[in-house]
Amino acid sequence: MTNPVTKDRLHYEDLSVGQVFELGPKQVTKQMIFDFAHEFDPLPFHIDEQAAKRSLLGGLAASGWHTAALSLRMLIDTFLGHAASMGGLGFTKLRWKRPVLAGDAISGTVTISELRRSVSRPKWGVVTLDFDMHNQKGQQVMTMRLNNLIEVRNPDTPGEVGS
Amino acid sequence: MTQWFENIEIGEKHTLGQHTFEHDEIVRFGTAYDPQYFHIDDDAAEHSHFDGIIASGWHTACVGHRLLVDAITQQTADLIEAGETPGEAGPSPGVNVMEFKTPVRPGDTITYTFWVEAKRVSNSLPGWGVLTEWIEAHNQNGELVYKVQFAGFVKRRDYTPKLSERLALFAAQNPLLRRFLSGRG
Repeated sequence: MTNPVTKDRLHYEDLSVGQVFELGPKQVTKQMIFDFAHEFDPLPFHIDEQAAKRSLLGGLAASGWHTAALSLRMLIDTFLGHAASMGGLGFTKLRWKRPVLAGDAISGTVTISELRRSVSRPKWGVVTLDFDMHNQKGQQVMTMRLNNLIEVRNPDTPGEVGS
Repeated sequence: MTQWFENIEIGEKHTLGQHTFEHDEIVRFGTAYDPQYFHIDDDAAEHSHFDGIIASGWHTACVGHRLLVDAITQQTADLIEAGETPGEAGPSPGVNVMEFKTPVRPGDTITYTFWVEAKRVSNSLPGWGVLTEWIEAHNQNGELVYKVQFAGFVKRRDYTPKLSERLALFAAQNPLLRRFLSGRG
């Protein structure tokens, strides 16, 4: 049973370890920071410029969840939106290395670090994606390892299998 | 948490609250940050292995974070009301593990629970402690939606800065001195 939505998209078999996707740049404005923070992270250092200057972050900074969500969006634009994605399993090692301040532009790379087939579900592949995000000065702002499910085009062919 | 580091109880579970995910907010978040077809397009989503639209896991996680922030804000207000000086929650260095377990569908009501697994004094930030924290989210059927382990900074009450740290702090807060010091590398 072929999925009509994803049949012409990239499948598990089309990917290889070491493949790199370029993300961004995306400018993060004060208004974007306020809008996201008011909905999901209304701490003083994300919604109040004066409080932000006095905080550990040293200035109005995007919520870390906002930086991650923007990075995810860039990955969907460049890769996952063109792939037979089946959704995320989760992620590990999300590190906010440095604040993303109002006016910063973030860009980066995502590298496929691992590919494996599900043993119990032959139609499912797992792609591990390593994010490495920077600001316009080249300083690292965020890293993360995302595990995403992707359709296997030919489930009957034996492949390398993981768990 | 805006309890002081010293007052934080390990393992004590707190219900952060509930949130019902409506169809339109699922699509709105998905359109902005996670525009995969099973988050934004009802018809196309029928063909996915989810058999319908589901919320982005990042959406459910962001709502959990919002409820945590609300709890922190409420705790601060309660401490002030009780005549105490609240502590201070700092930014988080990151998330160790996030697992998305059960999809969230339109109309699902998710209950979020928080607890602190461990605490230690920060090596990198004098005057602060680091907490290892968890949030678990369950749907109305009791199924685990996600669990996440993350780190957070919280201020120490019993902390007196060393003279060198007080000088560094003074220098950092004084723009002229800061420029002078950074100019000298």
